[in-house]
Amino acid sequence: MTLTLEKSSHSTLTLTVNGEKHSFMLGEGPHEVASSHTLAHTLRERLGLTGTKISCDNGACGCCTVLINGKAVQSCMLLTVECEEKEITTIEGLGDPVTNVIDPLQQSFIDHTAFQCGFCTPGIIMSAKALLNENPSPTRDEVKEALSGNFCRCISHYHVLDAVMAAAKKGGNQ
Amino acid sequence: MKLFAHVNAYSVDETIKLLAKYEGTAKLNAGGTDLLGVLKNRILPNYPEVIINIKSIPGLNTIEEDEEGINIGTLTTLADIIASPVIEKNYSLLKEAAGTVASPQIRNIATIGGNLCQDTRCWYYRYPDEVGGMIKCFRKGGKTCPAVSGENQYHAIMGAKKCFAVCPSDTAIALIALGATLTIAGAEGTRTLPVEEFYTPLGSVLNSGEMIAAIYIPKPSSVAGQRFLKFTLRKPIDFAIVSVASIITHDQGVCFDARIVLGAVAPTPVRALKAEEFLKGKELSEEIAAEAAGLAMAEAKPLSKNAYKLEIAKTLVKRLVMGLT
Repeated sequence: MTLTLEKSSHSTLTLTVNGEKHSFMLGEGPHEVASSHTLAHTLRERLGLTGTKISCDNGACGCCTVLINGKAVQSCMLLTVECEEKEITTIEGLGDPVTNVIDPLQQSFIDHTAFQCGFCTPGIIMSAKALLNENPSPTRDEVKEALSGNFCRCISHYHVLDAVMAAAKKGGNQ
Repeated sequence: MKLFAHVNAYSVDETIKLLAKYEGTAKLNAGGTDLLGVLKNRILPNYPEVIINIKSIPGLNTIEEDEEGINIGTLTTLADIIASPVIEKNYSLLKEAAGTVASPQIRNIATIGGNLCQDTRCWYYRYPDEVGGMIKCFRKGGKTCPAVSGENQYHAIMGAKKCFAVCPSDTAIALIALGATLTIAGAEGTRTLPVEEFYTPLGSVLNSGEMIAAIYIPKPSSVAGQRFLKFTLRKPIDFAIVSVASIITHDQGVCFDARIVLGAVAPTPVRALKAEEFLKGKELSEEIAAEAAGLAMAEAKPLSKNAYKLEIAKTLVKRLVMGLT
């Protein structure tokens, strides 16, 4: 890179989301990604992946949680242009793309009615997924800690804990 | 967010050159978990024209140990610090402090350098521009601090003169207690500075052409007890009402060395020098701990709504001292 560039140091962007590559021009047009766009915005408004929710848009609620290289992060606090060359996984990427069967963790949330309005659920599932990837047999306290960055205003936390523990017991992360 | 140009930097030298080139109109972005909030709410009088991404600099996210201490790259995430066996073994204070920051998702991207450089959380300073306009307080070049006669329950209880916002960094007080130093890169080369001397009442000594490159922590004595306590209204995703960090060395209950640092009580982290001095040579007991806590807060002058912070601070200092006996 030279120091003579007047503006941004790049003009195109390739994102890998749920295993698929998407290329964008950088700019302010309707199909372009601006340097100031957050990943949450790009996922929803450019890729139509509206499973990722934006609630506080300030990194405090966890609704926009996605996985980057397997780790849970808040996509509202990341610039899209800084997510190149990373594996991004959203809630839409959890199921089996061939059979359309949802992830056992998602099924466990349904089985335990681990949500009420459901707005925070994708974020909670992604945080739980990151935990189970790293620690397939967590204790209840470890689940609490891993989900401490996700808020649910319907107070479904207890059912969520049951759902994640049950999924872990079943080896739901396989 | 309002548009800005975005540049990836690939070395510390390049970053410094870019900062010089953009002459104060650029901001560095590491984890971004603090900066993006500042940009989204447009709280600063001057919105940056350029964001320089420094995550693209290789080799700044390592933890290297030698016999004398450890060197932590500025881009090391808080999650990596928490997971480091070296830090857990010899520098547990830093692990404990980092573990109380925000949420697991934030700790996965937030960096140690960014945690030290984060902007204050004062709600007047952070007041969003889109809700009736940003507030031009003393910290932004205004004439007064609205907290003095306003809602000041989370503001400074000591050491403040013109701006009563507090330094929110939890890792800062841990690093000060550990006697850490910073390597700061700038146009004139690098300089080293104790973390203790980094903060000023309105921010830090870091000028707009500089960046923190690394943090060095000398290895503490293996018999020194390291403790960190933080009082918050809720456990995750909350900033400290008061936080305290200490390293206390004692032999059979008699203290012979103590470093105690308080956070979120003043515009900068505060060393409780009088309490440290008092504790040396004393047999640690509840009375001695209470006296030390009183000395630590001797200079406190709470505002109209934050006298309760004084009691919390005293209690935390007392617990620190007692926990080690």
